[in-house]
Amino acid sequence: MKKFLIIKNLLALLPLALLLSITTNAQDSTANDSEPETPKKVKPVKNTFQSVWIIDNQTVMVPVKKTLEMDIMHRFGTVNKGYEDFWGFFAPSNIRLGMNYSPIDRLNLGIGITKSNMLWDVSAKYSIITQTPKKYPVSITWYSNAAYDTRKEPTIYDGSNIKHSSDRFSYFHQLIIARKITDKLSLQASPGISHQNAVSGYFTKNDSTGQEIYRSMKNTHLSIAISGRYKLTEVTSLMINYDQPITKHPEYNPNPNLSFGVEFNTSSHSFQLFLGNYFFLSPQRNNLYNTNNPFDYTDNATGEKKDGGKFLIGFNITRLWNY
Amino acid sequence: MKKKFAIPVILFIAGFLTLGMLSGFINLEQKPWPVPDAAKNKKNPVASNPESIAAGKALWSTHCKSCHGTKGLGDGSKAAQLKTEPGDFSKAVVQSQTDGALFYKTSEGRDDMPSFKKKISDADDIWSIINFMRTLKK
Repeated sequence: MKKFLIIKNLLALLPLALLLSITTNAQDSTANDSEPETPKKVKPVKNTFQSVWIIDNQTVMVPVKKTLEMDIMHRFGTVNKGYEDFWGFFAPSNIRLGMNYSPIDRLNLGIGITKSNMLWDVSAKYSIITQTPKKYPVSITWYSNAAYDTRKEPTIYDGSNIKHSSDRFSYFHQLIIARKITDKLSLQASPGISHQNAVSGYFTKNDSTGQEIYRSMKNTHLSIAISGRYKLTEVTSLMINYDQPITKHPEYNPNPNLSFGVEFNTSSHSFQLFLGNYFFLSPQRNNLYNTNNPFDYTDNATGEKKDGGKFLIGFNITRLWNY
Repeated sequence: MKKKFAIPVILFIAGFLTLGMLSGFINLEQKPWPVPDAAKNKKNPVASNPESIAAGKALWSTHCKSCHGTKGLGDGSKAAQLKTEPGDFSKAVVQSQTDGALFYKTSEGRDDMPSFKKKISDADDIWSIINFMRTLKK
């Protein structure tokens, strides 16, 4: 578990590295200092990431206008049972099918359905600025989604029944900040807000003097994701990603997520294969309800020490068409 | 039971071989690809420097290599499945063409060769690929 602590500490340093790189190396990574200054077209940096996904998070990338993308995302069970369920391959899995389209430059609209909770989601992603030498040191993109639980008898995180249709909704918003530091290395920091319409609770006071309600979770949850990509070749990259919950809830506190893997790109496809802790394939559900912890931890409610290392295998496939 | 499967298996193998031979014949065909004069005479606006060649090489690896091969010899992993000959970019038949002609063919595409003007939306990137193609000359 010491290894995980080291990784955790290294990941904590990633935002600092990102900031340092902005202040010390705000030049285009391909610029050659020894060349004489000649006026030439300054263009935004390309391919900070080669897919809209980096494992479970969105990247800063927005596909070019009139690009249609199909996503197939799969998460197996955790590897911990070993041969019993063939390291999670034969355990209950989760699948998301999605389509995205860029009707205009900088904007990407998406729709998808996830097996877990039969969750439909619609999303919008807008590239606010793109890293440009001597102009913008980073690329910034906004991502928002709304998801709707379409099960016949929906429940919330603690098993309570959902009574109102509005309680089936959840939302996620994220500001994605990324920098292509060198041609090979790109780093990204993404603070996010998840919102669940329904939480469980009970009255601690309900009389003529007023009402007080105990809620087991807060409706809104803050988190931050730190991601990195290192290109091994022009078409093969290593990926690493860490998600840290920020908001503290009275109960049901979600666990952080550590994921890492490889990405293979072709002209029209991106294949990502990885190990990680997130199972839900919905950013708000991952951030709010992740029970798989990469590290050993103590359960706040019971004081019990629990094992970490709850990793699962997953893959993402994207297919692009340009019209 | 064995006889029951023998005929479908033989038919399958015969069909497979016939199709394979046909595709072999089709591979030999390479029809002329006329390029309009205006496109042929277009000058490459992107200077051929290490930066542009590196950018072109990166795009080549993603978009072109699977058919045209790492060194442009037409021996990429998908080349055998093509109905048309992907060409040998190290030879004069390709290298004698103008930058403008190669840009036109890359942008517009034909038959198995996809059009890249939408997928690679910045024309300068296609010009960088042309700069990289020039390094494939033997």
